[in-house]
Amino acid sequence: MEAIGRSVPKKESFDKVAGSAMYTADRIEPRTLHARLTISPFAHARIAAVDASEARRSPGVRAVLTGDASDVLIGEEIRDRPVIARDRVRYNGEIVAVVVADTEAEAMRAANLIRVRYEPLPVVNDPVEALRPSAPILHEKLAEYQKGEGVVSIPGTNVASIIRVLKGDMDRGWAESETIVENRVSFAPSDHAAMETRSASAEIRPDGHVIIETSTQVPFAVKKFMARYFGIDPGWIVVRTPFVGGGYGGKTAIQLEAVAYLASRAVGGRKVKLVNTREEDMLTSPVRIGLDATVRLGSTRDGKIRAAQIVYRFDGGAYNDKSSDVARAAAADCSGPYGIEHLHCECLTVYTNHTFPAAFRGYGHSELTFAMERAIDALADELKMDPWELRMRNAAVPGDTAPTRDRLTPSNLGDIRTCLNRVRSLAEWDDWQVRQVNEHTVRAKGIACFWKNSSMDTDATSGAILLFNSDGSVNLVTGVVEIGTGTKTVLAQMVAERLRMSVDRVHVKFTVDTLDTPEHWKTVASRGTFLAGRAALKAADDAIRQLKSIAAVVLRADPDDLELAHDKVFVRADPAVQIAVKDICYGYKYPNGNAIGGQIVGRGYYTQRRMNPLNPATGEGTPGPEWNVGAQAVEIEMDTRDCSYRLVKAISVNDAGKVLNPKGALGQVTGAMAMGLSYASREAFYYTDNGTVLNPTLRDFTLLRFGENPEYVVEFIENPCLDAPFGARAMGEHGLIAMPAALASAVSRAAGVRLNRLPLFPETVWRAKNGGIG
Amino acid sequence: MIPFDFDYYRPATVQEAVSLYARLDREGKRPLYWSGGTEIATFARWNRIYTEAVIDLKAVPECRALTVGDREMTFGSALSLSEIHDSGAFPLLGETGGGIADRTSRNKITLGGNVCSRMIYKEAVLPLLLADSDVLVAGASGVRRVPIGRLFDRSMRIGRGEFLVQFVMDAGYRTMPYASVKKRKASAIEYPIVTVAALATGSGIRFAFSGLCDFPFRSAEMERILNRRELPAGERIRQAAARLPAPVIGDIKASAEYRKWVWTITTEDVLKALEPQA
Repeated sequence: MEAIGRSVPKKESFDKVAGSAMYTADRIEPRTLHARLTISPFAHARIAAVDASEARRSPGVRAVLTGDASDVLIGEEIRDRPVIARDRVRYNGEIVAVVVADTEAEAMRAANLIRVRYEPLPVVNDPVEALRPSAPILHEKLAEYQKGEGVVSIPGTNVASIIRVLKGDMDRGWAESETIVENRVSFAPSDHAAMETRSASAEIRPDGHVIIETSTQVPFAVKKFMARYFGIDPGWIVVRTPFVGGGYGGKTAIQLEAVAYLASRAVGGRKVKLVNTREEDMLTSPVRIGLDATVRLGSTRDGKIRAAQIVYRFDGGAYNDKSSDVARAAAADCSGPYGIEHLHCECLTVYTNHTFPAAFRGYGHSELTFAMERAIDALADELKMDPWELRMRNAAVPGDTAPTRDRLTPSNLGDIRTCLNRVRSLAEWDDWQVRQVNEHTVRAKGIACFWKNSSMDTDATSGAILLFNSDGSVNLVTGVVEIGTGTKTVLAQMVAERLRMSVDRVHVKFTVDTLDTPEHWKTVASRGTFLAGRAALKAADDAIRQLKSIAAVVLRADPDDLELAHDKVFVRADPAVQIAVKDICYGYKYPNGNAIGGQIVGRGYYTQRRMNPLNPATGEGTPGPEWNVGAQAVEIEMDTRDCSYRLVKAISVNDAGKVLNPKGALGQVTGAMAMGLSYASREAFYYTDNGTVLNPTLRDFTLLRFGENPEYVVEFIENPCLDAPFGARAMGEHGLIAMPAALASAVSRAAGVRLNRLPLFPETVWRAKNGGIG
Repeated sequence: MIPFDFDYYRPATVQEAVSLYARLDREGKRPLYWSGGTEIATFARWNRIYTEAVIDLKAVPECRALTVGDREMTFGSALSLSEIHDSGAFPLLGETGGGIADRTSRNKITLGGNVCSRMIYKEAVLPLLLADSDVLVAGASGVRRVPIGRLFDRSMRIGRGEFLVQFVMDAGYRTMPYASVKKRKASAIEYPIVTVAALATGSGIRFAFSGLCDFPFRSAEMERILNRRELPAGERIRQAAARLPAPVIGDIKASAEYRKWVWTITTEDVLKALEPQA
């Protein structure tokens, strides 16, 4: 009967495998109008003229919108982005015009008829170029933009955000260092490539309600920000999100919602639907952040790291949106899972003429981990020390402090050493690390470890409601978006466990509708089971209290003497005195027809304790609740002639705190590992010198396919987080984080050359081996 | 979403297909022969193809033929790559076609469609070149039979309104030792950096390549050099490389330098596999 720790199948799977699960774009209504985009073929250009006359005359067209449709600037951290480009485009794919027509085909035909005259401008093609004094400035009005708390920009430059994290005394750190290494890494932006492309519809009802349906991870943030951007009281905005076909962070940015809203406004409030094509999803909508980073480590001869100096140059794209916050998350955890006393990090998020980034699974952590872990490997080489041993010697332990100067405890820090020990054994690390298989074939292993805190608003909150049915079963309503992680099933397990009932009798509501669903801050940061879990448990406790209260009347007993289990409330000392939950959860009716009570509705909420924002000048603060950890390894087999390689095995040991749903956790970690291996080995946008994207299609942007996966070995250790429901630690992103670093470590070992650039294409490796840049 | 409307025709005979084309062409419908349709559908989405009428050849029985006789074997142009692969009729053709796109796409992509593709790879043509296939081409004046060597030069040189009906080749080729190796940038499903197809006949090893230059080819001159067994393999490949029909391409899949290197080692592997060891 126990629900926790059991592999309960995802409740949505039945609908999904039968093909009946509905996603945002699936609903077809004859009265809906359709929008299509005209996007910029240039990465940076002045819009000299837009001629939409032919498009306006095209059959079925209701409206054509260009930049002058709205002067509102949007963006979460910095309000720097027009909904539709005004006067200037800053990335290839930026929305220049929107056509609304009766059918999608008519809208597309008309969008093709819009003639735009561009005057190309010099481009900024990577974050290093962006920082050169001679670089074109992308946002001259940076000083005037509205900014979020803690965002420090440098007007007159391309620096959208600068953050410094300082700890200890660098002079002392360097003085105590006998060996110093410096390592630089870089990688370009890539795509989230969720199976469902992004889509949104908007409608402005005659009574003034704005109804938005969107494939988002953040329906409540859509409500909040749309209200703010367009001066609407939040109560008038209703956001609905059904199933989302994969988010990976890419569906945290607000973009198409604002376009659909303006489009609806232009046609008298009629419902307008906008669905990204795959190419638009890759070009126009947000991407994964790129990075160029330098890590300098100082260590004693026996491998104790005394000082770390880190510089991040994040490719913040053409508009800031969340990129500076992704960067902030990286800066806050910049040391990786190591106790480093003296630390200095400078974290820059700079504007470039690339598509703007959104969150990406790991939120800055696979990025910081790649930078740090490659430097650790370099230090191990320099010290001639086993890289596993070096990591073990420096692993953070309770009593150490994080870069934010938070004190680490056994609860807020996962157990890195146990993870490292397990990965050493599972990877058979001590047997061999590189070996020749035959004339042209080498096998090699790499390891890396990681930590990750969750970045969240300090007042991020989650609520849950439990409504009883007349059969004694319950409906669980939370604001978590079901993005494929199975979170709602895990929440149902928690409720079933607490109510001591079968998880089959806990029904969950999948669609989030901000009109009647309690707020869940955002379905991000691997926080669903924690925040919504605590809220659901409180709602269950609330329901139990109410059930006992009415049962006490019926059974003529003190509520404190009652227990709830197996769909009954009974007297603890005499279980024969009992009443079925179904007889009291809708109130109780006496034999003579008199009735008392009513439908039981349990409610609960949870807000994380004692959070405060990061000070951008010092890095002090508590921007996240706990550091969850793991250690990972990758084994590859390489043809040393052309450096092509095969993924043989990938291992992840994660501190799960408590595994709530073993198969679910295995799926999450394995999926994340595949994603990490995929982006590290093959995913990146290629830019021309003019900043345009050469591969905005899945023909040329390749992903790891089913048959290319290595053998996955996933193991969990359970060192509980005391604040978390049942001790469970965050799990959704963590399988990804050290995969790129572990792969780079293995490929470097196989090729005999230190590789620091992603993706690790065989040609990239071959070039590095033949004297080029790795 | 294809933003334009087009008519769909499904003729039952070769003659009907040819006359339909002539009529629709006269009417200015810019007709296209449709086989698997994958390229038309995807290019139309990007506004890279336009038509007002398509003529589906899959109901023409000759285009769907698959026979292996004592002397000849015949492959209809509208057979899907999956059908050819699964039939096992000509393993070199089946495997080379089986390296194109993914299985779901190959269930649609046809032999005729692939060799007439607008893309530069057209890998299914490599085995046809190696087996000296004849091509049956339908046109206004009936069906003509042409050796592929006279028809394929960088692309299929067929006239307006003509279409490929069948490929007919000597059945003896199906049992000869062969190799078909596709090297990609990183993924198992992707366009080639280079595809090397080779067939070991009694008179030497034949080679055809895709991905190396911006068209697939078989070169008699390179073949002669690669078969000069008195020279070490590496030297033969070096000399053959000097006789390439066009520059090696460099693009986002691979630089010219790396592409040439991958071609070199792949050709070396193929030689090693197919050449009787001394």
